[in-house]
Amino acid sequence: MPEIVLDRVSRIYGKDVRAVSDLTLEIPDGSFTTLLGPSGCGKTTSLRMIAGLDMPTTGTIRIGDKLVFSRDQGRSLPPAKRGLGLVFQSYALWPHLTVAKNITFGLEVQHIGKTEAARRLEQVATALQIDELLDRYTSELSGGQQQRVAIARVLVMEPSVLLLDEPLSNLDATLRMDMRAELKRLHHDTGATIVYVTHDQLEALTMSTHIALMQGGELQQFAPPLDVYSRPANKFAADFLGNPRINLLEGSIKNGRVRCVGLELALPSGIAKPDNSAVTLGLRAEEIRLHTQPKAGTESARVTAVLPTGSDWYYHVDMNGQTLTVRQNDAPQLQLGSTVHVEAVPDPVKLFSADGLAIALPQNHSEGV
Amino acid sequence: MRNAYNRFRLGLTPQSVLAFVFLIILGYLVIVPLFLMLRETFLIHPLERFQIPGSSVGDLTFAHWERNFLSENAYAFFYRPLLNTLRIALGMSFLALAIGGTLAWLVVRTDLPMKGLISNAAIIPYIMPSWTLALAWITMFKNTRIGGDQGIFTALTGVVTPDWFAYGLFPITICLALHYFPFGFMLIGGALRNIDAQLEESAELLGASRPTILRRIVIPLVLPAIFSTFLLTFSRGLGTFGTPAFLGGPVREFVLSTSLYANLIGQRPGIGYLAAVAMIALGVLVLYMDYKIIGTRRSFVTISGKGARAGLVALGRWRWPIAGLVLGFIFAVIAIPLTALAIDTVMLRPGIYSWDNFTWHYWVGDASLTVGLGTGEPGILRNWQLMSALGNTMKLAVVVALITGILGILVGYAIVRLRGRWVAQALDQMSFFPYLMPSIALGAIFLAMFAVPRGPIPSLHGSFWLLVIVCTVSYLPYAVKAGVSAIRQVGPELEEAAIMVGASWWTRMRRVLIPIQKSTYFSGMLLPFISVTRELSLLILLVTPATQLATTITLRYTDRGWYPYTNGMVLLLVIIVVTSTVVSRRVMGTSIAKGLGG
Repeated sequence: MPEIVLDRVSRIYGKDVRAVSDLTLEIPDGSFTTLLGPSGCGKTTSLRMIAGLDMPTTGTIRIGDKLVFSRDQGRSLPPAKRGLGLVFQSYALWPHLTVAKNITFGLEVQHIGKTEAARRLEQVATALQIDELLDRYTSELSGGQQQRVAIARVLVMEPSVLLLDEPLSNLDATLRMDMRAELKRLHHDTGATIVYVTHDQLEALTMSTHIALMQGGELQQFAPPLDVYSRPANKFAADFLGNPRINLLEGSIKNGRVRCVGLELALPSGIAKPDNSAVTLGLRAEEIRLHTQPKAGTESARVTAVLPTGSDWYYHVDMNGQTLTVRQNDAPQLQLGSTVHVEAVPDPVKLFSADGLAIALPQNHSEGV
Repeated sequence: MRNAYNRFRLGLTPQSVLAFVFLIILGYLVIVPLFLMLRETFLIHPLERFQIPGSSVGDLTFAHWERNFLSENAYAFFYRPLLNTLRIALGMSFLALAIGGTLAWLVVRTDLPMKGLISNAAIIPYIMPSWTLALAWITMFKNTRIGGDQGIFTALTGVVTPDWFAYGLFPITICLALHYFPFGFMLIGGALRNIDAQLEESAELLGASRPTILRRIVIPLVLPAIFSTFLLTFSRGLGTFGTPAFLGGPVREFVLSTSLYANLIGQRPGIGYLAAVAMIALGVLVLYMDYKIIGTRRSFVTISGKGARAGLVALGRWRWPIAGLVLGFIFAVIAIPLTALAIDTVMLRPGIYSWDNFTWHYWVGDASLTVGLGTGEPGILRNWQLMSALGNTMKLAVVVALITGILGILVGYAIVRLRGRWVAQALDQMSFFPYLMPSIALGAIFLAMFAVPRGPIPSLHGSFWLLVIVCTVSYLPYAVKAGVSAIRQVGPELEEAAIMVGASWWTRMRRVLIPIQKSTYFSGMLLPFISVTRELSLLILLVTPATQLATTITLRYTDRGWYPYTNGMVLLLVIIVVTSTVVSRRVMGTSIAKGLGG
């Protein structure tokens, strides 16, 4: 199963609309890599360039040991020769063909014999539990069934790379949960390299082995999900991942301590930042504790919203004019309007300098992910 | 250098190759003729050298322009036909819009009974040849001014119709309006149908009354559709030929198209080409207005997938009377003219409507020098000239429908897939251009263009293929429109999914794109088929005795006053056109409205 290497790939529409800008990415062999980002970040364009449906303006793309695109060499391997399959966001099932015909169309086009085609059809249909539906037209299927047919149509070609473009966005919430598990199983069973496009950070966190976080056509961070979550490379990465959103507190460094909106904590050892330099502290909702009594290093705040979710309690507290979101999994019975004392317990400490980039922590602070 | 070549090679997709090929072909068939025609207005033609002293054939001259616009004859040559054209086009557009809009509102927005029947019947006047009504009008209301016979009306009532009622601008306007009102019915009906019901419901919740909703919400929303229908009808009115030829000829009342024809086949081709230039200029002006005034508002009509139909206006006890009135009107527009034509074909001596004058002579009679009008002409069904003309028409209609249908798909494909690039835009506009050209002017251009060999292209004058080319160019706008909307509806992913498994371009077209939108493509072909069958103005200048068509030959019979033959042929054409429309709707699910892009 091959790795996919994008080398300084850019896609420019018209004169100066940069959909993807100087993207360099090595998608590891056999990984489940998610291209994650808000809409318009260039993730789908990147996927289409890997698939061969779109051509980079500059740069090269390799899949395994095959050079599939290089403009300078005038080389663009047709999609079907790249050994990959693409599941479209809209599924793109052909409405005039039955499920079976949809699945075997590619085999026919590739002149694969009838018996072999029938064998493969049966195999994928059984694996994806759509063997009952083969004679139906696609308009007679539910969303989840259409999804399976779309995947079956791709799997039947036995691709070594599977590209998925927001495949779950048209499904309802429960079905989406089931399909996530199923896609993960598929990855495990086939061992294929999967490139998955989504704007849903939860999907990215739960399914992938690697996340490539993009914004404005540029790669922001490429790392395993939990690394992106706990060691975001910049403020955008910190802000985009995690639900509820991370609390970003503006502050500065004074005498080796970080002071932000009244909170104070020790600067992790190994970080050398001059006094008075501006920093932003990122605190996830679970990295804040609320106390009814003041302690050392706490700052008082007022509860402005209490939002129980069943398993957790979310609070909005107003601390010196800034609203913080806090998650507690015990029930301290805080009343709306009551005064609480905020303690910051970041792990690890996420600090960003004025240009928005993370201030790197020395290695011994990592959690060993 | 090598880099540039590589870049070029990567850009070589099926759609870009198609686009460039069509750009070249269309450039030759659409843009070049325009310049040729302009040039003709500055040239001395063979017959003109006697009118302009000291000139010889092929000289450059401003004489035509001067005579046409400035001389003492300019009024007769140009300004009067121009005024007549504008009067007719304006009058008939208003009338057609009023009739069509009212019908559309009644069918879409009220609880009128028998809607299905009404909507089907209301389209028939449009698919009949436009001059059917003109011929019927003459048969009904002619007075003794032409040929000495009286019409059915005079025969029945004894009242002699005045000239202004029997011929000229008044009947031309009425006949055209009755022919073109289905435009308004289909396009405005489509717009009304597409209005999001919620827009009206929210007004209703705020306490607006039905009339207020109609006035403040519905009409403003369909205004762009109304306006573009008006312009569409108006531009058709500018170019129409048959009706003014039949009804204006007897009183020598010309419009631009008939004056163009008279001058071009007469002794003043230069003046004729100037009339064509003027007609195209008017067409461009109409398009410019369309673009300026409603270009930005076109997107008003919002299609909504959800929400029930807005409540229908209850007509109460007027339901049935109105339905009766509407059906009676449509029936009158269809049946009375056809009956009048039919009666005329079985009356041995014109103008005498009694049983002992009844005959099948004009249908199946032998050639005879003593019986009937057409000295030496056998009856229609045994007349090889007429039957071969009908055969030519059918052959032409089928060939043109197939070619435009295929071109429509290919050009539409190139336009949709290259959207946002200049080629797509150029192709889109160029394929739309023939729409602006009044068809008789287009015929005149092709006459100028293909009369002599040019480069590798031989002279096509008098050949069947010239007719095919001119019809294809003329109906291309409709076919491309149908093609674009069909391809756009399919969406690129369905094709990309086939690319992903390695289907070639040809396989994708054959197995994915075309099957999915079958009925749209057939609708795109149906319109050219019908249009060719009844086409007169486009081809009148291009046919020769060898390529005579059913429509053009009727004009020659009319010139000789042999109306029973003309009327019989028109009846045959109406039967063919209506039958093929109905059959193709049953078999293929086609619809004329779809073909119009409405």
